[in-house]
Order: sequence, then C-alpha cells, then structure tokens
Amino acid sequence: MIEILNVSKNYTSGRGHITALADISLSFEKGQSSVLAGKSGSGKTTLLNCIGALEKPDNGKILCNGRDICTFNQKQRALFQRREIGFVFQAANLLPWLTVAENLQFPLEMNGIRGKEQTRRISGLLATFGLAGYDTAMPGELSGGEAQRVAFARAIAHKPALLLADEPTASLDSATGYQLIQLMLSLCADQRTTLIIATHDIELIEMTDRKIYLKDGHLETKI
Amino acid sequence: MRLRYILKLSFLHLVRSWRSTIVLSVMVISAVASLIFLASLAIGTNDAMIRNSIGLFSGHISGSDIPPRIDTEILAVQGVEHVLVRRQQRFLLWTDGIFEPVLLMAVNPLQEQQSTALWKKTVAGRYLQPGEDGIYLNQETAARLHLSVGGWVHLGTFPGDILKTLTVVGIYRTGISQLDQGLAFCPNEAFPSAEGLITTASFLQEGSSTDEIEQHYKRLIPSGKFRAWTEFMPDLKQLIDLNFVCMAIVMILVFALVSVGISCAFLIFTLKNLREHGIMKTMGIMPVDSTLFLICQIGMLTLCAATVGMVAGVFAVILFAKVGIDLTSLTSHNQYFVVSGVIYPRLTAVSLLPPPVLAIIFGLAAALWPSLYINRKSPADILRTV
Repeated sequence: MIEILNVSKNYTSGRGHITALADISLSFEKGQSSVLAGKSGSGKTTLLNCIGALEKPDNGKILCNGRDICTFNQKQRALFQRREIGFVFQAANLLPWLTVAENLQFPLEMNGIRGKEQTRRISGLLATFGLAGYDTAMPGELSGGEAQRVAFARAIAHKPALLLADEPTASLDSATGYQLIQLMLSLCADQRTTLIIATHDIELIEMTDRKIYLKDGHLETKI
Repeated sequence: MRLRYILKLSFLHLVRSWRSTIVLSVMVISAVASLIFLASLAIGTNDAMIRNSIGLFSGHISGSDIPPRIDTEILAVQGVEHVLVRRQQRFLLWTDGIFEPVLLMAVNPLQEQQSTALWKKTVAGRYLQPGEDGIYLNQETAARLHLSVGGWVHLGTFPGDILKTLTVVGIYRTGISQLDQGLAFCPNEAFPSAEGLITTASFLQEGSSTDEIEQHYKRLIPSGKFRAWTEFMPDLKQLIDLNFVCMAIVMILVFALVSVGISCAFLIFTLKNLREHGIMKTMGIMPVDSTLFLICQIGMLTLCAATVGMVAGVFAVILFAKVGIDLTSLTSHNQYFVVSGVIYPRLTAVSLLPPPVLAIIFGLAAALWPSLYINRKSPADILRTV
C-alpha cells in the first residue's frame, strides 16, 4: 500500500519557477494497476520519480507500507529501490556491456538470489517474454521491442512489490506496445505487484484498473 | 553486492568496451615504459659520468701507502675487474740547463691501456711500450723543457746526478689540472729507483658496491690508505645524488600529470557511460558498490597496463643496453668525456619498480573523482539530463 500525502515539488530552471507537483495526495492498493495520464510537463514523471525515491519532494510524505520513504538516507533509499521497486523507462536502458541474461542477472545478484534459483528465474523470464535463445545476445543486437521486453523482464526479475513504468510504450509501435502491456498486467496481477504507469497513450490508459489525470502538477481527476 | 560479482562486472565492462580500454591503457603503458626507460637512462648517465671520471686514471678505489712487500694480487677480490699497481717518486727532469720537478709514475703500459684512457689523450707521439726507456710527459712540462717527441731528458734526484736518460715517446694533455701539471710516466722497467711509493687503482665490475670493497681493502691492508671515488670526487658524487633526486621529482611529476590525464579520461569515460550508472542507481546500487566498481575497473586497467608498460620498458632498456646510446657527436667538445660518450641504460630496482607502483597508486587515486561525481548525482538527474 502506497500513500502520497500533500506532496509538492518545484523546480527552478532557465524557464523560471516551475511547479511540477502541487499538493498531491493519492493512494495505491497492493496489486492494483494504475495509470498516471496527462500532457508533457504535467508532472507524471516527477510523481513517478518521487514514488520510486529517485527524487525527494519539497513537501509532503510518501508512505510505503507505513514507512515514509522521503526520510530515507542514501543507503535505505538504495535498499528500498533494490528490493521493493522495478523501473521501466521509455528507452530500454539496458546495460550495453552485459548480455541479455547478464542484464537479468543484475537485480537478482543485488538481491542475493544466486545459484540454481537465479538460473531458474532467468530462463523462466526469457521464456515468458519470448526471449528464449537470446540469453547471450548483446543489447545492441536487439530490436526496440525485444530490448523493451528485456527491460520489463529485468524490472520484475526480483519480484518487486511496486513496478514503475515511465512511458514504456512510447518508443514501440502500438501492436508491440499493446502485447507488452497485456503481458505486464497479467504478470503483475499474478505476482500481486502494484503497477503504476506514466503515459499519454490513450490505448494504454484504457487497459489499467485506475486512471489518474494530472495537469500542471495538479491532480485533475481520479477514476 | 559481492566483490566477486563487482570484479566480474568490471572485467566485462573493460573487455566489452575494449576501444575505450585500449585508449586508456595506451596512456598508462606509454607512461610506465617511458619512465622505466628514463630512470634506466639516468642510471646509465650516472654510470657514464663515473666511467669517464674514474676511467681516465684513478679507478673506483685509489690505494696509497701500500707496503712494498704486500702482494697486490690480494686486492683482486670479487667484484673487482682490474687492479693497476703503480710506483711513484719525485725526480728532477732536465735538458739544456732547464730543470723541472716531476712526480714520475712507473706503470705497466699494457695494463694501463686496457683499464684507463690516459693514452687516448696523447697530443704528440704515442703511449709507452713495455721495457723501453721512454717517458710520457704532460704537455706543460714538455713545453717548459722545450721537449718534443724523440727528444731526450735526464732524470735525477738533484742537478747533475743523472740516474737515467729517457726518450720522450709521447706528450699528453687531459684538460684536468691534477694530471696536466708535474706528472710523467715511464714503464716499470725504466723506473730508475727500486724504491718509490706503491699506489693502486682498482676498477670495479658494474653493480659492485664501492663502499663494501673499500671496507674489505681496509681490512686486508690496514696500513694502506684507500679512498673511493666518492671521496676524491665529491663534486661528481653530488651531481649523481642530484641526478637521482631530479629523476624522482620527474617521475612523481610525470605520474601526477598522467594521473590527472587518467582521471580526466576516466571522468570522460564515466560521463559517456553516465546513463548506465544512473540505471544501476535506479536498481539500488550502493555508493560504496559504485565506487568499488570504478576502483576495480581502474585497478584492473592500470595493473594490466602497468605490467605491459613494464615489459615494454624493460625490452627497450635491454635493447639499448646492448647497443648503447651514442652521444659522442654531442659530447666530443667536452674534454671530460674521456672514456666514451656512449650511455648504456641500466635496469635496477630503483628504475624498474617505482613507475608501475606509482601508476597503480595514482590510477586508484584517479578513480576517486569519477566516483564522487557519480555518487553525488541523483539517478533522476542523470536520467533526465543524459
């Protein structure tokens, strides 16, 4: 269970003072899939980054199972991200000097999942995401859709409680994006993983349990 | 994260980013190899200075007040290449009513030619030959006596007391006042006295310890006086010591510059891969693991590159140690390059070990800057800006 209480975030840039998030309060139930929708600059990515402890809000609290992640120190933050979170970005963001299997191995190693269990999980993920036979392929040898499938597989390899996806289908064609999101939704439902997707893809918005619209850093509608 | 896994990641990163790895390695390899060669060259230069200074006449260790009954063969201990024995006595030289006092030295001409370079300083005539009644005279004394090659000169202890008449076979000039004033040489057989002070000049093998052999001599002949070249040529000793200090400073400066270069190159390398560090941070990599990852990469790279640089440096030194670096054309104007203007680089622990050790130390220090940079950046900033 994630609770966001009165979270605000402001930036100062060359464009002047920007309010990225203005007094946002929200909650996400365990296993629920939600979408954060809105135009570019509406605050979707900032909210996602705050939930994932990638950046700290100026005000407010973000409670994850009762713990305020905004008060975490660097080590606690790293452990939280390592154990509880899986990230998927617009670009696949694979480590280019590791093979597909080695990319999947990375979060497992960090979480102390080694040996037979590690091998079993990697081969299971490769099969689930239709990547069998790709284990020794380098990221540079993959198509955009294949690379994004590896990114999804890596994000859920260690079975995180929360999966955060920032425009995950933006660089894919609609058919590939649709298939990938279907797969993600079913895997998250099976694992009772909370899924939060930031997107402005209309099709994707319709596929999730819950829709949250943001405009200029303000919460516009919750459906 | 396990250190083993970090080491594996570092290795894979270096191997699979082989172009960047090679570029960074070349910098370390060339620095280590050049410094080994430079340090060996500095040692070779010192050797050449010593060789040119002691090779003219004195040897590495000069002995005097040697009792006549002592067999000087005992001085040929381990580490000594040649021992030259000379007898010396003050005499008066005269011809046509002109008198000049000299210190006459009886020598074995063949041995002298083999070990010293005085004979190369002949300006007229030739050097002595064994058994002849000849004298080898310095140019200044020859001029005062109006003597030239083929002329003769009387030798005695006071005017009118002719002990021997010798023919001038050669005239020399070294440019060194101690040798160019009041000194003359004759073969042992032509020496007119059975007496005379016995002196020795010991020439050591390369790498032998002058101090140890000097101490050994003092134990062998307690009544004799032995002096190492460092005592009778303090200016040369000072020059060599300064040369070592300069070399150490050069080495540290070069590595400080190389480490700044490595650090900058690694920072550029890290900036190029900044997104990857951001991705790892989003997956919860700890600052200590990020630092270890960079240190392991730089450590592996500098270790391998320093080893290759060491091999390259040793190879270059061995190559030039055989053929030598001939600076004769640059040194011919300098009268003190009496033996040879060829420098033979020489490897010692001092020339071999500091460059790779410094490379590794400075290389690891160079990892700190990129590590600090990565650890201070938030993953959101990295992913937003890159």
